Parts: sequence; C-alpha cells; structure tokens
Amino acid sequence: MKKIMIALCGLMLMGTTLSFGQAKKPTIMVLPSDLWCNTNGFMMEFDNQGTKVKIPNYKKAFQESSDLLNVISKINGMMAERGFPLKNAESALKTLEAESAENAMLTSKGGAGVSESPVDKLKKTAKADIIMQLTWTVNTTGPKKSITFNLQGLDSYTDKQIATAVGTGAPSFSAELPVLLEEAVLAHLDNFNTTLQAHFDDMFENGREIIVRIKKFDSWDGDLEKDYGGKELGDVIEDWMKANTVKGRFSTTDATESMMLFEQVRIPLYDASGKATDARGFCKDLQKTLSAPPYGIVNKLMMKGLGQATIVLGDK
Amino acid sequence: MKKTTQSILVALTILLATIQFNSVFAQGQGAAGRKADRDTRAWRYEVQCVGVGTDGTKLIKVFSYSKKADVAIEQAKKNAVHAMIFQGFVGNSGSGCPTQKPLTNNPGLEQEKIDFFDSFFADGGKYMKFVTVSGDGAVAAQDRMKVGKEYKIGVVVSVMYDQLRKDLEAAGIIRGLSSGF
Repeated sequence: MKKIMIALCGLMLMGTTLSFGQAKKPTIMVLPSDLWCNTNGFMMEFDNQGTKVKIPNYKKAFQESSDLLNVISKINGMMAERGFPLKNAESALKTLEAESAENAMLTSKGGAGVSESPVDKLKKTAKADIIMQLTWTVNTTGPKKSITFNLQGLDSYTDKQIATAVGTGAPSFSAELPVLLEEAVLAHLDNFNTTLQAHFDDMFENGREIIVRIKKFDSWDGDLEKDYGGKELGDVIEDWMKANTVKGRFSTTDATESMMLFEQVRIPLYDASGKATDARGFCKDLQKTLSAPPYGIVNKLMMKGLGQATIVLGDK
Repeated sequence: MKKTTQSILVALTILLATIQFNSVFAQGQGAAGRKADRDTRAWRYEVQCVGVGTDGTKLIKVFSYSKKADVAIEQAKKNAVHAMIFQGFVGNSGSGCPTQKPLTNNPGLEQEKIDFFDSFFADGGKYMKFVTVSGDGAVAAQDRMKVGKEYKIGVVVSVMYDQLRKDLEAAGIIRGLSSGF
C-alpha cells in the first residue's frame, strides 16, 4: 500500500513538472491589412475632433468578401494541420458583440450591474499575440491575371515583423481569382511558417521579447527621480531589469521623471518555480520589489496579452 | 546419356555466366550508387522549382550527376528529399513558386543526427516514402546532358513536403511550430 502511494505521488509530481514544461503559447489571428480594406472599400470614417479618421471595417469585410473568407479559411486550415490552430477573427468579433450584450443585460439579484472601467471598454477588441496581416493585389496585364500576395507576422506588443512571405504568382489567362488565391496561400505559407519557426526558436533560446512601461499617477507626490539611498528610483528599476532579464537584455527607450519605457526586454519563459510566465508574471516581481521597503510605493500593474505590462506608481 | 550430360553442362555454364554478369552489373550499379550518395552529401545536385504543387506537396526538378543515366534518375529522389531538409530550392517567377527555405535552419543538423540520416537516406530507406517521380521518370531531351564522362539528368519529382515535415518532427529531428508550447 505504502509503495503504491509513493508511486502515485511520484507520478503526480512528474505530471506537475511536465505541465510546467510548456511555455505560454501565443495566439495568432489572420486579419486583412488596412491597405486591402481601403482598396476594397471596407473602411469606416469618423470625425475625431475635426480630423477625418479612416479605420478598417473588419465586420463588413468578413460579411461581404467571399475571397477573404476563402483565404482565411485556407490559412486557418493549414495552420491547424501544423498543430497551431488560429483564432478566427470573425468569430472573435461575434463573441465580443455577444459578450457586450450579455454584460449590458447582466444584473445581480440585488439589481447591481457588471462593473466595467473605461479602460476595460477600450481593451474590448479582437486581439491576438501575433497578427497575420494579409494583403493581396490582382495584377492585370492584357488578358493575363496574377496575384501579388503578402503575409506579414506582426508581434502585437513589440510591433516587430517576426515572419513574412511575399511574392507574385504565375500569370494566368484562364484561372479564376479564388484558384489563384489558393495557389498563393499554398506557395507562401510554408515560407511564412519557416520564418515564424525561427522566431519561436529565438524566443526559446533568448527569452520572450516584451515591452514594459512605468508611469505615475498625478496624485503621487514622488517621481522616478526620487532618491533612495543615493540612487534615483529610475536607476533602481533599471538595475532590477538588468538583474532579471535574460542575459541582461533590455533597452531603455524613454526615461523622464514621470515615465519610463523599456523595449526589447527579454524575459525568461519560466519563473523560478518552473511555471510558464509572461509580461505580467515578470512585472509582478518588480511590483513586489517596489511595494516593499525601502521604497514602499503603492502601485498598479496592468497587462496586455503575453508581451506588454504597465506599472503605474502612486496608487491602485 | 552423353547428350544429356552435355545439355546439363551447357545449361550450367549459361546459368553461371548469367549470375556472374548480374553480379558484375550490380557491382557497377553499387559503385555508381555509392558515388551518387557521396555527391548527395556533397550537395552535388541542382534543384529548380517547377510549379506550386498540390496541398502538402512540392513539385521540383532535380538535376543529378552519374556515369549511369538510370543511377542519376534514381538518385534524383534522394536528392529531392535531401534538398527539402537541408538546402531548400530557388523559386521560379515564371511558374509562380517562391524560393523555399529548408525544413531545418540548423546548419549542423546533418552531422548532429548522422545515424538517423544514414539510415533515412540508405538505399530503399525511409526517404522513398516522401517522393514520387513525375511522368514515370521520363526525362525531357533538354534535361539529359553529357558533362565530361558523366550524365547530368533532370527529373521532375513530387515531394510530400507536409508528410516529410511531420515525420521529422515526430522523430525529434526538427522542431514543430507548436513544440515547447
């Protein structure tokens, strides 16, 4: 009986270790580029304090372009076949709408509604960690048609293009547009995945690349130039970054008395206990350091996906 | 009786001659095959994209070298799979296929996994599973060239790229997109 118990405990421990062995998987979503939406008339225009602003109308594009649907469906299928199913943008938009309606109707038995801050409202967009931005143009030379296809993998947090595949297909007299588009996807997706794989390999070797922002509430009387034992708070934070990033890699892009911006911050994929971590997990440790003596700064940690975190000093 | 013995002797002689001829021929093929394998390892082949293959496949033309035309044709299959894993191939704007990167981006993979690849690329090895010769191996006149004492022969082959990738991922030779997540 004792032996069985020991064996069971061993198995459970092994299971826990194995479950810690997986890094947080980024989500990927295919979206048409602004250029494609603009060329095909899927934009909406609004007046932003006197300036006309055009933004892509994805819902209209998904509802009216069968070519777009076919291309996204083909890409989604091929990625799923590679063990990396994608988030479907059209479904994500529908889920957002349904959730908004549910939140509007939801009340407790006592009559209370769901709490939603202005920031929560702003964050309610269809999002993914990596956006596969899709553009194609139809080239016509006399009776011949060809497709120029461009697929860009964009990191939602660092704004870096991490994968790409671009090229023009063979001109054809007779092939229809959907056939040319399918051929373009088949021709380019493997190259896209090869570059994406190189990005993941780099991530496993050098850590996940994130962005960290430090801000302060205007109600706080301190700032990032406040002195703590001969060191300014900004320097203290920089030293912490140096000590906790992979191989000390990060860039201080901006630093003033009221804000700091760290880019190209390479964080480990797992924390000290072996648990998979992300920008929020990484910054939680910084948050604890700043809250503890000698600093004792009350602060608020906010995150965006796997790769962006903001600490606002001075309040919750 | 004498006539019967004579007939048996003639038959035996013919049989022995046939066996010897076959063995010499096979030896010749073997030597040429071994030379072709050395060429493969030395990247002595050329790969061109012919067109965008159907879902999960790549359609390429492989030029291989050998003193024997049939060895070069057979080696084309091995070279095609070798190129997919280690070299990639150059695109062809006329047929709309882009330059393809190799399945591995580790330049030392061939040496690191030498045992795996030795058996994978052995004659009749697993590589055969992922490649088929198009048009029964028919070689166009312009793709059959005599270069010095050798033939340079171009054969169109279809490589089951997706299957090859999955197999290498399953064997732990290359990483899959979702590996580690």
